[in-house]
Amino acid sequence: MSKIKGFCCNYTLSVDDDALRQEGLVPRGLEIERLPCTGRLKVPEILDAFAEGADAVFVVGCQIDKCHNLSGSYRASKRVKYVKEILKELDINPACVEMFFAGRGETEPVVAAARVMASMAEEGRDTDKV
Amino acid sequence: MCTMYCPRPVVDTYNERLDITRAPHIDYAQAIPSSYYIDARACLRVNYETCNLCAQTCTAGAIDFTEQPKELVLNVGAVVLAPGFGRVDEKVLEKFGYGRYPDVLTAFEFERLTCASGPSEGHIVRPSDNRPPKKIAFLQCIGSRDETCGNGYCSSVCCMYAIKEASVAKEHEPDVDISIFFMDVRTMGKGFDDARKRAQQKYGINVVRARVPRVDEVDGRLALTWTTGDGEHHSGLFDMVVLSVGLESPEDAGLISQVADIELNHYNFCRTSVDAPLVSSRNGVLVAGAFQGPKDIPESVTQASGAAAIASELLADSRNSETVTVTYPDEDKSLEEEEPRIGVFVCHCGVNIAGVVDVKAVRDYAGTLPGVVLYEDTLYSCSQDALKSIAEKIKDNRLNRVVISACSPRTHEPLFQETLRSIGLNPALVEMANIRDQCAWVHAQEPERATEKAKDLVRMAVAKARLLAPLDQPTVDVTPTALVIGGGAAGMSAALSIADQGYNVVLVEKGRSLGGNLKRLTWTLDGQDASMVLKDMVEKVKAHKNIDVLTSAKVESVSGYVGNFTSTISRGGKTEMINHGVIVLATGGREYKPKGYAYGESTRVVTQLELEEKLSRGKGFLKNARNVVMIQCVGSRGEDMTHCSRLCCTQAVKNALKLKDLKPELNIFIFYRDMRTYGFYEDLYREARRKGVKFIRYTLVRKPEVIKQPRGIMVKAFDELIGDDIEIPASLVVLSAGISPGENEELSRIIKAPLTPEGFFLEAHAKLRPVEVAVDGVYLCGLAHGPKSLEESVAQAKAAAAKAAIPLAKGKVAVAPIVSRVNQDLCIGCGICESLCPFSAITLEKVGKRKKAQTITASCKGCGICASHCPTIAISMGGFTDEAIMAQIHAFSPEGCKEG
Repeated sequence: MSKIKGFCCNYTLSVDDDALRQEGLVPRGLEIERLPCTGRLKVPEILDAFAEGADAVFVVGCQIDKCHNLSGSYRASKRVKYVKEILKELDINPACVEMFFAGRGETEPVVAAARVMASMAEEGRDTDKV
Repeated sequence: MCTMYCPRPVVDTYNERLDITRAPHIDYAQAIPSSYYIDARACLRVNYETCNLCAQTCTAGAIDFTEQPKELVLNVGAVVLAPGFGRVDEKVLEKFGYGRYPDVLTAFEFERLTCASGPSEGHIVRPSDNRPPKKIAFLQCIGSRDETCGNGYCSSVCCMYAIKEASVAKEHEPDVDISIFFMDVRTMGKGFDDARKRAQQKYGINVVRARVPRVDEVDGRLALTWTTGDGEHHSGLFDMVVLSVGLESPEDAGLISQVADIELNHYNFCRTSVDAPLVSSRNGVLVAGAFQGPKDIPESVTQASGAAAIASELLADSRNSETVTVTYPDEDKSLEEEEPRIGVFVCHCGVNIAGVVDVKAVRDYAGTLPGVVLYEDTLYSCSQDALKSIAEKIKDNRLNRVVISACSPRTHEPLFQETLRSIGLNPALVEMANIRDQCAWVHAQEPERATEKAKDLVRMAVAKARLLAPLDQPTVDVTPTALVIGGGAAGMSAALSIADQGYNVVLVEKGRSLGGNLKRLTWTLDGQDASMVLKDMVEKVKAHKNIDVLTSAKVESVSGYVGNFTSTISRGGKTEMINHGVIVLATGGREYKPKGYAYGESTRVVTQLELEEKLSRGKGFLKNARNVVMIQCVGSRGEDMTHCSRLCCTQAVKNALKLKDLKPELNIFIFYRDMRTYGFYEDLYREARRKGVKFIRYTLVRKPEVIKQPRGIMVKAFDELIGDDIEIPASLVVLSAGISPGENEELSRIIKAPLTPEGFFLEAHAKLRPVEVAVDGVYLCGLAHGPKSLEESVAQAKAAAAKAAIPLAKGKVAVAPIVSRVNQDLCIGCGICESLCPFSAITLEKVGKRKKAQTITASCKGCGICASHCPTIAISMGGFTDEAIMAQIHAFSPEGCKEG
């Protein structure tokens, strides 16, 4: 089971991740951290997630032009891009981190993001074995 | 047939667009008139002059495309507006995912899903995948109590209908998990709180007090988030979300107001006042039902009767001026006494019966039965042409018993009875065999066996028909006087209405003066001076030439039956006998006397009515007051009385606003369980919050306590939001004591009018006959029926007056022919029947030396309890004699038939 870490803006995702896991809608290894705004997410925090054993990390923020704090999700997306560069340098697949956008209170895109990342992580693991 | 052949599919609006029908259709099986109509918007013939298939296939030739709209001019003395309610705009529902997610339904749609004749035949399935949902959420107050959509009022009915729908769903699918999200549970109607309790305890329906802001979808499931009163966030996934949408004013309210020239209120409902709830701003234009304000069925029916009473007051002078009297030929007694000559008519009912049952075979079979001289089949027995031809055939063949083998006697028997009467036969000589509902419909898959069953049913009906005997149709004269018991607002309103309709009224009041509880009221809910309303009413009553007021009087006994009651009334040591035709019960109720809460121990603890009395004397008593605490549901909802007293919430809010007016810096705290400020009273509740009145919810587990201290009073209570106890030093504690029933037991015994477990009088049927009592000629209004506001009491009083005026206006009461009949030779005078009769329609009279039972035919309802309990089988029921029923049962076996 791969470990997936998601950072979600408070304005996306209307349901607790516990409820989602219980209903089997998301991979079991998923852990979601809610943030007041993804704009506050720092690069080291994303890297820490990997250090703590995450196979993949994703960030879900408001749609770029509809951010509750105007430019929070834009900043987050820039930082995710930066983390990708770092991962490259460390010889880790940069696809292991990804930025997603979701409308206000929409849970569906978050669930979809979690699934994309989980299947990506599973594939990565398979190729590792080879 | 027309629906079958029509090539044009149309969405079925009756089934909330969940199903498809054709351009010619009937809205639903019980529609009135129960005939098919063509949806002109979809019809190919109407729009493109093609097709015409339906007109060709209609075997009755009932479709005529040449008809044109006609303009009619009617001269009327009064107009009653009853356009009902409109729908909440779909834009409001979109916020909750309606239209976006298929499994978000309105409660109207859900209602159709749970209905056996609905699109899914009563199976609750998700529209998205046709699978049964496991978890359902009901969201309340959609489009009501919501200023963002302009509907600041409470729709009054949604809490109860959601509970009903949830209970129905649970009965159908016991495993389904249902949560209802309320702001307040407003089940303030008579008996509604019991239904809520049942839903929670028996069906395990979750009651969540939270407002869900929006609906989200994840993987075909619906995600909700909510915050409860303790500040906790919750979220959950559901398979189906039902939106309990409110009632809006009709879409064409503006047009109606223009055409009728009446004023609307700020929510586009008809504007009325508390003392005249059914009268619009224009003289002679009356209103009833949801157009006056959101309301449920019992109240709408009550208002409808009330509006009829006012129309009847206005038209009192012209009563009976445009009526048509139907005359019937005399009965042919000699023919009735002849050997039975039975005619059997087997109905096709279009394809309803003939599509399954071999009608011709049943007809021929009927011909083999003994006594049958005529046997025929008809396409639609109930159509005008067929009735005419049946009548002619009965005459030509000198038939004296008729068997109609068609549909249900409940709906069609009167029609055939009428046909018999029109040609001089006693209406009791027709018998029906229901080969549609009880045969063709339920055995649609097995045509052969259905045909056999139809034959059985016809054979049994013929066997009974042989023994049918003509029944008398007696009528009794009515004394044109009404006795109104109780001189409060309801009693006075009822008396005035009956008197204005032109009949005499005796108004009996046990107190020294008229007025009842209205005397203690200071302001009405719409801000009028209650004493002025009272004065106006009392003056009108006293000045009315048709009303005889007896104060300090008591009804000692009532004897007789509808049309001919005789009552003994005691007054100042003397007794008086009064003859009257009807009785209106308006005995009122009382303010509950609180127990506990330091009531009676401190002058600072008062009830709401006592507060109003203080208020009416000026604001002096508020001089040193700082904090006023009000406690709701004192006595009501489970303490001493199980019922909700309905109006205390609004009364508390009204008085809080009054206090705020007199002294704005006053802190007012209201401890409540559910704020039930239904209808437009919600405006008062909102205003009170805006003015800073603090509302704090409490539960039965942690009730507020009133503690007497050396210096003043302390109220201690648990505040859910803070999660801790709070203490308020109170200058004044006002207890919202509920409404307890008056001393109804004695009167209930005298009149044999049953009481509810709470001690209020029980109506004959909550929805269909809300102001009538099971005993004929006795009507009910005001607090005697249950807690209600002044406005509702007045409307109900008018309704009772309308119903009471019916026998008075007719002058005669017709007695249903199916009544019990005592064979006094067999009667041993044991009195069992008298004690069991629920309508006091049997008395014991001395005949010779012994007592014998006697039926008061005017009061008998024909329920048959007496006949079934008579130890000597001395009682028989007209139309259902033991012999006839036995013959019918024996005929069930073919051998029995041969013997017979």
